[in-house]
Amino acid sequence: MAVENTQELLLNMGPQHPSMHGVFRMVVNLEGETVTKIDPKLGYLHRGLEKLAESRTYSQFIPYTDRLDYLASPHNNWAYVQTVEKLMGVEIPERAEYLRVIFGELARIASHQVMIASTALDIAGWTAWSYAFRDRERILDMYEMTAGSRLTVNIMRIGGISAEPPAEFWPALKAFLDDTPEMLEEYYGIFLGNEITQGRLKNIGILSKELAENLSITGPVLRASGVNYDVRKAAPYSIYDRFDFNVPVRTGCDSYDRTLIRMDEIVESIKIIKQAVRDIPEGPIMAKVPKVIKPPVGEVYHRVENPKGELGFYIVSDGTTKPSRVRIRPGTFINIQMLPIVALGWKIQDVVAIFATLDAVLGEVDK
Amino acid sequence: MENNVLRQRVEELATRVNGEVEESVGAIILKVKAPYIIETLTGAKNFPDAPCDFLHDLCGLDLVDHLEVVYQLSSLSGSQCLRVKAIVERENPVIDSATRIWQGANFLEREAYDMFGITFKGHPNLKRIYMWDDFEGYPLRKDYVIEPIEERNKVRQRIEGE
Repeated sequence: MAVENTQELLLNMGPQHPSMHGVFRMVVNLEGETVTKIDPKLGYLHRGLEKLAESRTYSQFIPYTDRLDYLASPHNNWAYVQTVEKLMGVEIPERAEYLRVIFGELARIASHQVMIASTALDIAGWTAWSYAFRDRERILDMYEMTAGSRLTVNIMRIGGISAEPPAEFWPALKAFLDDTPEMLEEYYGIFLGNEITQGRLKNIGILSKELAENLSITGPVLRASGVNYDVRKAAPYSIYDRFDFNVPVRTGCDSYDRTLIRMDEIVESIKIIKQAVRDIPEGPIMAKVPKVIKPPVGEVYHRVENPKGELGFYIVSDGTTKPSRVRIRPGTFINIQMLPIVALGWKIQDVVAIFATLDAVLGEVDK
Repeated sequence: MENNVLRQRVEELATRVNGEVEESVGAIILKVKAPYIIETLTGAKNFPDAPCDFLHDLCGLDLVDHLEVVYQLSSLSGSQCLRVKAIVERENPVIDSATRIWQGANFLEREAYDMFGITFKGHPNLKRIYMWDDFEGYPLRKDYVIEPIEERNKVRQRIEGE
C-alpha cells in the first residue's frame, strides 16, 4: 500500500472546516492520501453545562438542554424533564404526553433531514442539501407557531408542556405528514439513489457489530450495524408502548446504510405522529407541580432515544432547590470514538464521509 | 420478575467483592471499593441469565469526603440496568481503567480525569479531553473555585512593547 520514499503528512482539519459540523478538530496523519492515524481534539465549544447546572434551579436548567443537540432541542428538554419527574414521582397529564411525543418525533424528523442534507453537502451535493432544508423549514414553522422560537424551542416544562398548539398547527402538521412520502422519494431520487453518492458511501467505513457493541455506540449508527436495539422498544418511556411502529435495522455496517437508516426512521416517526394525532385526548397540559421544585434526596438515571443516539441524564439531588450533580450522557460524544478506529486506512475524502454519517453535533459532543 | 433475577445475581456478586447493594428510584446500585472494580465489572458483564454487558455511561461524582466513579451498565439483549459505584479516595484518586473490558470507556474516562482528576490505571491515552493541557484544577470538584465575574470582565492592560 505505502509508496516508498514518501513523507508522512500531518493535516490539521478544523476547528474551522466546512465538513466538521461546528468546531470539531482532528489531526490526521497521512501517507499520501491514506489515513494512518486520527487524533480527535474536543473542547472548542465546551461551556461546562454540568457545572452550570449546579448553580441553577431545576427549572432554570431546561433552556440549557436546548443547547446540547440543538438540531433536536425538544428531545433534549424531554429527556431532562422526564428525569426530574422520575425523581419527584410526578404523573403528567395524558394530553401533555401525546404532545411531547408529537414534538419529539417532529424533532427526530428535522434532525434526520439535517443529517441527510449535511451528508450530501459534505460529499459535495449542494442540491440535495437545499431540498432537505426546504422541508425542515416546515417543522421549524410548527415549532414557531407553538412555542415562539425556531431552533432552541424550550417547549417542555417539569410536569407538562409549555403551550397548547394553536388552531393552525393541526392542518400544517397534517399537510406535512401527507407530503413526507413524496419528500423521501425526492431525497432518494436526488441523493441516495444517485450513483456517485453510492460510490462515495457504499462499503466505506465498516463498523462491525462486535466493535459497535464494545465501543458503546448507540442510536441509528448502532442499528445500521445490525443491532436491533431502540430504547423506545427495549425500555419504553413516556407512552411509546402504546404505538405500533418498527425499529429499522440495517446490516450493511457502512456509511451508506448509516444514511439510509435515517430515511427509514423518518417513515416510522410519521407512523407514530399519525397515531398520536388520532388518539390525542382533550385535557390539561400541565400537572400540578409545586412552584419551587424540591425533589427528595436521591439519585436517578434516565435515558431516551435521541435522534443521534441515547441521551441520558443522571441527577443527584441533596434535597435542596439546586441539583448536587447533573451528568449528561451525550450520544454523539461516545459515538465519535469510532472515528479513529474505523477511518484508518481510508482516503481523506472517506474520512469526511464517515464523520458526516455519524451525525455529530458539537453542542452535544462538547456540552 | 426479571428484576428479581438480577437482584439475586447482584447480591451474589456483592458478597464476592465486599460490596453493598442499594436501591434508588427503582434502580439497583452496587457500591464497591476501587480495587475490586475490574472484578465487579467483569462479573456483571457475565451474569448468566441477565448480563449487564453494555457500558452505557461512566462519570465521576464528588461527595466531598470521597469521590466516586459511577458506571451505568445495561444490555442490548434486555431491559436490565445496573449502576456500579466505585469509591475512590479524594487525596489519591486511582482506579483501574475499564478500557480493557469496553473500548468505549476511552473518552468517558478521559472526561472523568479532566473534570475530577481521577487517574485510570492502564488507560491508553489519559489526557485532558475538554480543557487545554496546562489547565489547572478539576472543574467539577466541589472545592473548585469559579473565577468571579468581576475578575473575568477585567480588561487586560497591554504590556509596553506588545
